[in-house]
Amino acid sequence: MEEPNLTTSAIIGFSVKLEDDSSQFYEELAKRYVDDIETLRSFSKESLNNRILVTRTYQETITDALEACFSFKGLSLSNYLADMALKDDMTYYSALKLAIELEEKAIKFYLDVADRSKSLLATIPNAFRKVAERRNKRKLKIESLLGRLE
Amino acid sequence: MVILEEPIKEAQTLKNYIGGEWVESKGKIVEVVNPATCKVIAQVPISTKEEIDEAVQAAKAAFPEWRRAPPLSRARCLFRLKELMEKNFEELSRIQTMEHGKTIDESRGETRRGIENVEVATGIPSLMMGYNLEDIATGIDEYVIRQPLGVFGIIGPFNFPFMVPLWFIPYALATGNCIVVKPSSEDPISQVKIAEMAEEAGFPPGVWNLVNGGRTVVSGMLDHPGIVGICFVGSTPVAKGVIYRGCGETGKRVIAQAGAKNFLLVMPDADLEKTIAACMTSFYGNAGQRCLSGANLVVVGEGLNEYEYNAFCRKVSGAFVDEASKVRVGYGLDESVQMGPLRDKSKKERVAEFIDKGIEEGAELRLDGRKTKIVGDLPHTCFLNPTVFEGVTPEMTIGKEEIFGPVASIMRARNLDEAIEMIHSNPFGNAASIFTSSGKWAREFQYRVQCGNIGINVGIVAPMAFFPFSGMRDSFFGILHGQGAEAIRFFTESKVVIQRWF
Repeated sequence: MEEPNLTTSAIIGFSVKLEDDSSQFYEELAKRYVDDIETLRSFSKESLNNRILVTRTYQETITDALEACFSFKGLSLSNYLADMALKDDMTYYSALKLAIELEEKAIKFYLDVADRSKSLLATIPNAFRKVAERRNKRKLKIESLLGRLE
Repeated sequence: MVILEEPIKEAQTLKNYIGGEWVESKGKIVEVVNPATCKVIAQVPISTKEEIDEAVQAAKAAFPEWRRAPPLSRARCLFRLKELMEKNFEELSRIQTMEHGKTIDESRGETRRGIENVEVATGIPSLMMGYNLEDIATGIDEYVIRQPLGVFGIIGPFNFPFMVPLWFIPYALATGNCIVVKPSSEDPISQVKIAEMAEEAGFPPGVWNLVNGGRTVVSGMLDHPGIVGICFVGSTPVAKGVIYRGCGETGKRVIAQAGAKNFLLVMPDADLEKTIAACMTSFYGNAGQRCLSGANLVVVGEGLNEYEYNAFCRKVSGAFVDEASKVRVGYGLDESVQMGPLRDKSKKERVAEFIDKGIEEGAELRLDGRKTKIVGDLPHTCFLNPTVFEGVTPEMTIGKEEIFGPVASIMRARNLDEAIEMIHSNPFGNAASIFTSSGKWAREFQYRVQCGNIGINVGIVAPMAFFPFSGMRDSFFGILHGQGAEAIRFFTESKVVIQRWF
C-alpha cells in the first residue's frame, strides 16, 4: 500500500534500521561461512558506516524551512523490505541469493529517496546516492562470490 | 510507524541560573504542558523583579573580566557549547517537540539552525575586527575598534523555544557582553538545557544568566538601568508598544522582531507540484505558528484571459486543498506526523475564532480544520487540522490580521502590480514569496516588495545564521537585526581613535 507524504524522519529511521539489520545479517553470514569472513565482515562494517553517513548528513543539513515533512510522496516502505532471516539449514549459495535480493531492494530504496529529496539541501540526496553506489558495488562482489560457487 | 521515546520522564520544577548557581525562584509556579498529550512535563517559576535584579547584578559583576577575555577564549567556550549541543542533538530536538508540539523533523531543523548561530559566532576573532587608515593627516592615523557594552536582556518567544534566543546569545557573548535570558514560560525547558550546557562549556559565573518568568521579568528588564539592550521576538503590539517604547524611554538598544502576515504569490508559469509542496511547509509547518509562515496565497493571472485565469485559480486551489487535506496531524514524536498541535488550548481557540470570522465575512471555507482528525489516541485539546479559505480579500479579518495557526487564505490578483499592492496594503512586512519560472517577474518582485525576507520559489524565507533575519514595517522595530554581522554590530560600540605621536 502506498504511504503518502512520508516525513524525512521516517525515511532516515527506515534507513537506519535497514543498515543495522544489514550489518547484523552480514555479521551472521561471516560467522557461518568463514571462508569469506573478511569480505562479509567488511559488508557489515560498511553498513554501519552507511548509517553514520546518512544520519550525520541529515542532522547537519535538516532545516525546518524546507519541505522535510512533505517530500517523500508515493513510496511504500514495505516494497524495500527483504527477508533477512537465515535459516539453520541454509546453504551458502541460498544465503548469497538472499543477500543479492537485500542489496537490490536497498539500492532501489536509496535511489528512490534520492530522487524525491532533490528539493532538500543537496547533501541529503547525495548521501543517499553514495550509499546506493556502495550497495551496488557490494552486490557485484556478492555476485562474484556466487559465481565462484556455480 | 515509529513513535520516538520521550526524553522527559517526570516533571521537574525548573530553576533560575544566576551568577553560576541554579537557584529556586520565590515566584509562583505554573505548569508546562505537552500540548499533544496534555501531560505536565515541568513546572516553571514566574520570577520576581528582585530576581531579575539579582541576575543583572551578577551579569554586571562578571562583565569586566569577561570583556577582557581574549576573543579566542570566548570563542572556545562557544566551540565547547557547540560540541555539547551536537552530542545532545537528539535529546534537545525531542524536548522541543514535547514542550512546543512541533514535529521531530521541525525540531531537528530548529536545533540545527540554533547550532549554526553558535558556529558563526565562533568566528568572532575575525568578525569583531575594526578597521584603520594611516595618514588621515600628516603623521596621524585613525582606526575603529569594536567594544562590548555590558549586559543584554534576551526575551524568547514560545514558537521557537530553542533557536530564537540563539539568534542573539552567541553573538552577545562572543563580543564580550553578558546576558540575562528569559525564555517563554510556555516552553522554557530548551533554554534551561542550553544554560546547563553553557555551564558545562565553562562560561564563567554571571556571564550567562537565565530567569524564568513572564511580564514581571520583561518589565524588570526594560526598567533596569543595568541592562543596555534588549532582544525580543514576539507579537507586534508587544514589540511596538512595550519593548520598543520601553527601550526608547530607558535609552536601551533594541532588536524587536514582531508579527507577520506573509503573502505567497503563484504566477501562471510556476511549477505547481513543487509550489504546492513548498506551500504545505510554509502554511502548515510548525502548525502555522511562525513569523515566516505563509498566510495569504495569491493566485496571479498576469498574462491570462478571464477564462484561462479562472481555470488556473481552480487548478491551484484544487491542488492546495487536496494536499492540505492529506496532512497527517498528531504527536510530533510520531515519525509519520507532518503537523503537530497548537501550543495550547487558548491558541487553538483563537485560531478557531478567526475561522468563524472568515465564514461570517463571506470567505468560502474549502477545508475546515476544526473537524479534527488526528493520528493516534490523543486528546484533541490543542489540535486543529489544516484549514483553507478561498475568495478571501485583503480587507477581510482573516486576510489582514495575523492568525498564527494553520489557516490558508486563497486570494486572487489579476496581475503582479495588483498582487504587490495587496502586500503593501497590509501593515506587516516580514516575508513574501513568489513562485514563478520568470526571472523578470522574480526581479520585479524582489525589487519592489517592502518586506524584509523575500522568497523566490521558497516558501519559508528563513535566513541562514550568517545573514540577518530581516523584517520591515510592523514586523520589525529597531535598526540592526539578529544573526551574523548585524548582530555583531548590535552588540558592540564602534569607538574611533585618532592617533598622533609627537
